[in-house]
Amino acid sequence: MAERADTLAGKKSNNQQLINSRLVKNIRKHWVLYLMILPGIIYYIIFKYIPLMGSVIAFQDYQIFKGILASPWVGFENFRFLYNYEDFHEVLRNTALIAFYQLIFQFPAPIILALLFNEIRILIVKKTVQSLFYLPHFLSWVVVGGIVFELLANQGIVNAIREMFGYAPILFMQEESYFRSIVVISGIWKEVGWGTIIYLAAITAINPSLYEAAVIDGANRFKQTLYITLPLMLPTITVLFLLNIGNFLELGFDQIYNLLTPMTYSVGDIIETYVYRAGVLQGQYSLTTAIGLFQSVIGFVLLWIFNRLARKSEQGLW
Amino acid sequence: MKLTIGERLFQVVNYTLLLVLASTMIAPLIHLLAVSFSSPIAADSKEVFLIPVEFTLATWQHILQNEVLWRAFGVTVFITVAGTFLSMLFTVLTAFPLSRKEFMLRRPVMLMMVITMIFNAPMIPFFLTVREVGLMDSIWSLIIPGLVSTFNMVIVRTFFMSIPKDIDDAARIDGCNEFRLLFQIYLQLSKPVLATISLFYAVGYWNTFKTAVLFLRNPDLWPLQMRLRAFFTSEEELAAVDLIMGDFDFNTTTLKAATIIFATIPIVIVYPYLQKYFVKGAVLGSLKE
Repeated sequence: MAERADTLAGKKSNNQQLINSRLVKNIRKHWVLYLMILPGIIYYIIFKYIPLMGSVIAFQDYQIFKGILASPWVGFENFRFLYNYEDFHEVLRNTALIAFYQLIFQFPAPIILALLFNEIRILIVKKTVQSLFYLPHFLSWVVVGGIVFELLANQGIVNAIREMFGYAPILFMQEESYFRSIVVISGIWKEVGWGTIIYLAAITAINPSLYEAAVIDGANRFKQTLYITLPLMLPTITVLFLLNIGNFLELGFDQIYNLLTPMTYSVGDIIETYVYRAGVLQGQYSLTTAIGLFQSVIGFVLLWIFNRLARKSEQGLW
Repeated sequence: MKLTIGERLFQVVNYTLLLVLASTMIAPLIHLLAVSFSSPIAADSKEVFLIPVEFTLATWQHILQNEVLWRAFGVTVFITVAGTFLSMLFTVLTAFPLSRKEFMLRRPVMLMMVITMIFNAPMIPFFLTVREVGLMDSIWSLIIPGLVSTFNMVIVRTFFMSIPKDIDDAARIDGCNEFRLLFQIYLQLSKPVLATISLFYAVGYWNTFKTAVLFLRNPDLWPLQMRLRAFFTSEEELAAVDLIMGDFDFNTTTLKAATIIFATIPIVIVYPYLQKYFVKGAVLGSLKE
């Protein structure tokens, strides 16, 4: 047995050597390609992989002047602290709730809109409507946030309309009860049009003969949509859903940061805005890195679970 | 094909609904444009909808004379031009070897890069890394940490791979090395894709905000979006713009409206011409997934 293991190991190292010598030859022959990709690899190591590995400071009491190597290790101390930390509970609850609302309202919106676009037969109307819907995607959240604040201000147009109908003005942006709805609606407004593009591509790829056959069988437009278009969009929907769920708790710093005011912290402060304030501004690096790590782990677990479910119908990501 | 009554009714409802919703995509901008040309009294007494009331240019005269805003505009133009150029260079140089079968490390390097699409660099370690590298309070912190978008790189790589290999053979006979092959042949053949990707990068740089929040403490270096945010959040910032608030030709409402329009105009102007490239890019990206 031992002998066999030896020869196996020998074979393995032989293979290794073979690969190495092939690699050396490959580098010699195509050194230009290796030279080309070098800057890219350095970029990925410095700005993607070092920060990823830097997450270990979640298990340290990181001190800036000592650095990662000399800072003391504390095991799960930061996570234990978070478990009993009231602020963290609030931030986590806000993040999960907004994420959930986005999933329910914002995720299906472009699917529905794509189906409605698909029913427009007059080409110029379709083009115009689509162009208008795509526009907000290119505005920054600073601008969109500014627009939202201006429209919903005390002297803004929404309150002007309310007054026309005899209602008292509301300070929307300062009221806790409106915050999450504003986040979801502004998110839909900005991204719904752009989100349709992928679905429209999926619809275009559907074989027209399917519809012809359905018409012969007497199916009307609604039934065609229900039994042909939607089922054939399902793979696209599944993939986008999975990509979405992997970032479930990452709501996007820009949007929330630009809509949040101190008055709405209790309902709108999310993980990313909190990590920015407590980490970047106040220097609680280890604690906030622990929060970030927690967020990533949740995202990955959700992705893994839903991917398993999707795989049952052979539509998983992997 | 004859439509049933129900279908015809649906068509009417659908057209109406979509036209109304589509107009809400542009109406807020038109409204703010109207506010920016209205007198402050009209703007604050809720009289302005889509047409200026008591038309005045005072707000715009004031905005366009604001040096702070123009400096931020300059920063944004610089990072958009320099950033797009550098991003394209790095993206193309990375995508090309990854599209070549003879590049032996193609698979592992590709995997290494695609993995970062699922595992994002977390905010705090990212922040600490950029600080260690010495980019804090440097204009380059808006460009270098986000130089390559893996998504865009994958699109370019896919396009390179679709170019027929006959071209390579022809080039090799001419004694072309791989640098010349990329820059003189592949790039010429990929112009539409490169245009699309450059636009994605350019819009990203124009809208740069988060990196500025993280890395820039010095207001002189702030890009446009950051400056806007400062205007929106503190009345003093805006008041600092107008030294004489006793002059009532404009107020914070009209100034805010005008700054929003100021930051949006470049995008709205180029948008109609470039829209088809954007859409193409979004579809290209989806095919890959």
